[in-house]
Amino acid sequence: MWKMAISALLMMLGATAAQAAGGERIQVKGEIIDTWCYYSGVMGGPDAVVGSAHHTCALWCSAGGIPVGLLAEDGTVYMVLKIEGDANSAGGDTQLKLASHEITADGMFYRRDGLNYLVVEKVVTDHGITNLNHEDYGPIPGFAIPDPTK
Amino acid sequence: MRFVRLLCVALLCGGASGVLAHGTETHAAPAIPEQNAAVTPLPWDIGGPFALVDHTGGTRTQVEPDGKMQLLFFGYANCPGICSTALPMMAEVTDLLAARDIAVSPVLITIDPELDTVASMGPALAGISDDFVGLTGTPEALAVAYRAFQIRFTRIMDDPRHGPIYAHGSHIYLLDGAGKVLTLLPPVLSPDQAAGIVARYADL
Repeated sequence: MWKMAISALLMMLGATAAQAAGGERIQVKGEIIDTWCYYSGVMGGPDAVVGSAHHTCALWCSAGGIPVGLLAEDGTVYMVLKIEGDANSAGGDTQLKLASHEITADGMFYRRDGLNYLVVEKVVTDHGITNLNHEDYGPIPGFAIPDPTK
Repeated sequence: MRFVRLLCVALLCGGASGVLAHGTETHAAPAIPEQNAAVTPLPWDIGGPFALVDHTGGTRTQVEPDGKMQLLFFGYANCPGICSTALPMMAEVTDLLAARDIAVSPVLITIDPELDTVASMGPALAGISDDFVGLTGTPEALAVAYRAFQIRFTRIMDDPRHGPIYAHGSHIYLLDGAGKVLTLLPPVLSPDQAAGIVARYADL
């Protein structure tokens, strides 16, 4: 069992600061996603764990230390190492603010070990939450929205 | 950090069962592509020497005494958040690799030396795997390791049940026996995927 974790509390830092040679500058448009739920499949299929349906859970996971990713329009997932001045890959104020948002990012792209890494140097445009799939899926997971009576 | 604090309070008040408290049902997930690119030098300047104390009281540096590769994570032994995923994943990767005759040492460097002492780390980590090496030390000695790996963390709150709750990094670093950083492993990888990446470096 994936333990309880009050942990929406932890965020991630570290790991990432400076990048140097070897990267490729790219500009890419996509959604800032919760990589844990996207890759694990534990909360639903890929279409359900993005967008407004998964926004609350995405906040939990990011604050809990799960690195955020950028799901590009072509389906490519980039592991985001850093966004602008926020040297976090999860849980930083910028990462939380952009959870589930579609952005146009300009940054450095690194391909390593079969994974794509992105250091976002500039959020060119924050398009906001554009995938309003809660109309199709409701909140994913259902318990993402706390019961106010409890 | 105000937002994070508010979020924490909201989650606690809402009785959230946790960031990773996801059910057992699984759905088809997108595949992570096979490794297809040549291993190249890490494009980040990260890693370096440190000298800490392990959970047995012995001195431990970035060098693995037996020359094994190392899986290095910064967190704390009883962390209820990402560590509860990353540490078991590291243990499973270690077991998977051992079955392939690839020796790897999983290492945790604490971000809270008051919480993780020589006496307390061993039992806590043994609950995950006997292979784990827990490292603690003085704040000054730990700061050297944090700087080397660009680790930053924030004590967010004190939870009545779990004690101090930190915001901290969650990538796992793969080091060679000499302590050089070879690559990083996102904690969202499956143990099989992570073991596959590590095995590739073992073959170099």
